[in-house]
This record gives sequence, structure tokens and C-alpha cells, in this order.
Amino acid sequence: MQLLVGDNPFHDISHLSQERARTRIIEESDLQIAEAANLVKASLQTGATGFMFSVSETTLSILKSVSQTEKLELYAIVPYAYEYVRLATKTGGISGLAKKVIREIAFSSNIIAIAPNTLGVVRADLNVLLKTYIIYEISRVKAVSGKNAKLKSVLLHEIITDMALALDLDWLLKSYITFLKKRRIRPGFETRNFTYLVDKFEEWNIDFSEITITAPFNRVGFQMNPSKTSCEKALQKVAGAEVVAMSVLAAGYLKPAEAAGYLKILPNVTHTVVGVSKMRHATETFRLLEQEFARSTSQM
Amino acid sequence: MNTQVKKLRVAVVGLGKMGLLHASLLNTLPEVQLAAFCEKNPFMRKLAKRTFKTTFVTDELQNLSIQNLDVVYVTTPIPSHYPILKTILSDGIASNIFVEKTLSSNYEDSKKLNYIFTQKSGVNMVGYMKRFSVTFKKAKELLDNQALGTLVSFDAYAYSSDFADVPKGSKLSGARGGVLEDLGSHVVDLALWFFKDLTITSASVKSFLAQGSPDSATFQTEAPDGNKGTFNISWVKSGYRMPEFGLTITGTKGTLAVCDTDVTLQLGTKPLKKWFRQDLNDNVGFLLGDPEYFREDSHFIDCIIHHSTSESSFESALKVDRLLDEVAQKAGV
Repeated sequence: MQLLVGDNPFHDISHLSQERARTRIIEESDLQIAEAANLVKASLQTGATGFMFSVSETTLSILKSVSQTEKLELYAIVPYAYEYVRLATKTGGISGLAKKVIREIAFSSNIIAIAPNTLGVVRADLNVLLKTYIIYEISRVKAVSGKNAKLKSVLLHEIITDMALALDLDWLLKSYITFLKKRRIRPGFETRNFTYLVDKFEEWNIDFSEITITAPFNRVGFQMNPSKTSCEKALQKVAGAEVVAMSVLAAGYLKPAEAAGYLKILPNVTHTVVGVSKMRHATETFRLLEQEFARSTSQM
Repeated sequence: MNTQVKKLRVAVVGLGKMGLLHASLLNTLPEVQLAAFCEKNPFMRKLAKRTFKTTFVTDELQNLSIQNLDVVYVTTPIPSHYPILKTILSDGIASNIFVEKTLSSNYEDSKKLNYIFTQKSGVNMVGYMKRFSVTFKKAKELLDNQALGTLVSFDAYAYSSDFADVPKGSKLSGARGGVLEDLGSHVVDLALWFFKDLTITSASVKSFLAQGSPDSATFQTEAPDGNKGTFNISWVKSGYRMPEFGLTITGTKGTLAVCDTDVTLQLGTKPLKKWFRQDLNDNVGFLLGDPEYFREDSHFIDCIIHHSTSESSFESALKVDRLLDEVAQKAGV
């Protein structure tokens, strides 16, 4: 089991309590990028091997600092949905947002890579729009990550993955997989509908061994839809996939030891991602998880 | 025996954030076929045509009348609800209608829509999704079981930072119909769900973004049983990553506080009881946005299939619009 450090606390997210998330904003609005970078570094030094993050100005700055001294694997989630929802409010809706993003991409330094797709963008071809956007995000990550950091996987944010699943856009997801494989980056999918994704991917003949899936797995079944039992059953079908368990603490509802106890018995979970907001959490959590998982491996 | 059931043909009017969300959730329901989209924006229409090859896409509402629809979802901005719903009803585009909250921009128009609908058959629903949240459901259950004894007072809030850092003079908020309708309606609906009936006793509405733009509101209410309430609503409040809604209710036996993430019950000197979403079986068939959206859509489709009245019908949504109009009148807006 490999451990990844997550970025939710750096975006003031708490799924347990809105009050706690707000307190974080008040208390940590001055949390400097350097402090966040130190948390990631401490996590990497105590057992984590990679950083899973939504691509935003904040996380790119953290990454720039971390990758100067630490070797790590990167799991980049795109788009950073929260920022885009805020932008949609400010630009008057989804079409306003799309125009703004297209403008931003057009003026980015990666115009040569993007230029061949211009016609598809103008024609509102979703396939081309997605690829153009992914090129743009990859270029943002690579621009700051240096040689110590390897971009292992680009994952579609759950909003995009789950909407594409719900709307049966198999051609879009398949095209995304092919596109990233050509660039030697593992295509990834963040989802809160693991069972639904596994069933659909089986139906669409998508090879699990080529992809990364990130989904909630925790002892209380929080966000394991439609049920904890069905997600556990679906796990048995994805041998060969890289499966990253998220929400393992059920948004702070469980202790790390409880989380590890549950994760150890799950088949085919290859990675666990945990976010940390304090130095003590970082060192204690990753040390404990590493010890727990090492013990379970030695007992096999 | 032929066990195949005819799917309900659904159209979604308005392909913004809410339209895409409902379209996605509906497409996961086995009883539903996404048959048509109606969208005014040329870019979104072009995108929909290229993406959904078998779904009818149009910019004219009237064109939906030949699509043999069973259900229409209206997810356009609030100011457009009245003319769109009126056309759907008068042209007989579909007999079952879901509209995102609020039913219309004012009580008079909502009354007219409700009256027209009562002359027809079908199921209607307004998207007050907070009723489908596990925490607010738990609070309702506790109140219905008289956990607090006789109700004395309550404080309700609805806050967001949606326009907290939008420059003054911006007209963007106007398209969403004002803070009372866009944000306040959810918590007003919850209060009416909990307490049945309320009357406005005083109100004030303030503008921050532009002159005449209702951006924050404070108002007091009274229920027939004497239960007094205070509402605070704002979409220019800093520090709210997501919109937040909540109520703190005081009764003769204790206090109940409920928000999107948890419910807290304090009865006299007894130990405090707290339920998080994690304690209340929050899983759904398909999660997109919040779990309440899936429950809301499943409930509406179930009501159509079983010919029953929805949890949040036009009739019940009318009360929200009446109260919001009363706030505006008392505040002199």
C-alpha cells in the first residue's frame, strides 16, 4: 500500500463540519505556502510517496517548493471544480466560464501545442475541448514540478467523471484514456460512484490495468455509493487497476488507526490518500499508516 | 409476458449548472429517457448537439410540443420561470413539471401558475432540495416527535460568499433574482416545512452590489402558536466556501441546531446528542453534487409513476413565495 498526501486542508475543506471549514479559513488564511509545503515534505519524509492535488495556484506553489528537495509522484486532479464554480458565478454561467477558460488557454505559453485544436474548440467539440484543457493543465504542472517530481497520473475531477458516467459519454472517457497513454501519463478518474464506474467500465471494455481510480473507502461507508457492501464487491473486479482510497477518515469522523484497520482487509486497494493540516497530524498519521500497512504485508 | 415498462420522456429546459446536474442524475434512473434539451445560449446548444447525438436540442420552447414528452425540468434563472412554465402549461408540452426554486419571481405569478396546474392532471414539484438532506430530515423527525416540547423561538440563516468579492455595480446578481429568492427561499421553505405557517412581523433588505439589488435581508416572523423567528440571509458574506443553511430552534424542553453537516440536540441537563451526516445513512444510488439532488429527482419520478403528490409541490412552494413577497413589502423594496 502506497501513501499519498492530499490537499483538501489547503483549500479549507471539511466534509465533517462547515463550522470547522470556516474556522480553518479564519485561522489559516495566513497559512503561508511555505508552511503547507513543509506539511507535504514532512508527510513525504514519514511514509508518503506522492502528492494528490487539485491543480490550482495554491497547490502549484506548494508543489514548486516541495519538488526542490523531495522526490515524489504527482497525482493531479483537474479541473479544480470549486474555483471554476466561483468563476461561473462571476462570468454569468457555464458559457461565460467556457469562454473565459478558452481565452486563458489561448493566452497561455503553450499556444503551439494548443493551436492545432482551435477548430474543434470553435465547433464546441467536447472531445477537443477536454484534450485542449488537459494539455493546458499538464503544462501548468510540469512548469513548476522540476525533475524530482514525476507526473504519474492526471485524474478527472469527480464532477466530470461522474457526469460523463451518468450521461454515458463512453467515447469521451475512452478518448481521454488514449490521449494520456500516448503521453505516458496514467489516465485517472476520481469518483464518488465507484460501483457505477466499475460496472460501466466493464460494459465499455475499459482495461482497468491501464487506469487509476480514486474513490471513498472507509469503515462507516461514508460516500460509498450506493452502499458500502456494493463498493467492496466492486473492488474485487478491478484487479490490476491502481485504486486510491480517499475519504479514509470519513472526513475526520474516524481515527487513522480505525481507517487502517479497515483498509487492510480490502482487496485491490493500492494507495491511500490522506490530507493533513498540522505538522503533528502529518508525522503521526503517515508513520502510523505506514506501520499498520507494513505489519499487514509481513503477516501475508 | 412483456415486462418492459415505457420510459418517461424528459426534457430539460436550461443547460446551466443545475440543468446539467439534473440531466445527469435523471439519466441514471432506469425509468427515464433524456429526450430533449432546450437552451438559448448558442455555445451550450452547439455543445449539446455535438455531445448528445440522439437527444433533440432546440432553442425554442414551442418545438418541445412535438416531442411527446412526459416530463419537463425547468432549470433556467428565476425571472424566466413564469413565462416558461406558462408556455409549457398552455401548450400542453408535458403534464409533469419540475422547476428549480423558486416557483416564480412573485406570489401573484406563482398563484396563477398553481391555478392553471390545478385545471390539469399531472405531478409538479419545486426544487427545494434541502428537504431531502439527511440532517434536515432528522430535525423534522425530532420536531414532529415533539422532542423540544412547545416551540418558543428560532433563528434561521442562509449565507454564501457568492458575491462577496464581486465589484460594486456588477449586474450579475440580478440574473439570479435577488438574495431572497436565490438563497433565502431554501431556509424559508425549511422553516415552513418545520413550523407549517409563518407571518412576517418586520423586515429589512440591504443592497451592496448595486442600487436596488437585494443582497442581504433580516426579518422576523411569528407562527400561530406564538413561535417567534428571526432570519438572516446574505450572499455577500465572506468566508463561506459553500452556501450554508441552518436553524437553531428553542422549545420548552431544550434546543435543536441543524445545518447541512450535522444536527445537535440539547435537552435540559441531559448529555448533548449530535448526529453527523456520517451517522444518518447518507448514501444514494448516484452521487452528483449533494446526495439530496438524487433523492429529490428519484422522489419526483416515483411520484409520477405512482400518481402521488410530491414533497414540495407548487401548492407548498406558493407559501414560500407569499412569505418572500411579505418580506419585500415590509422592507419597502
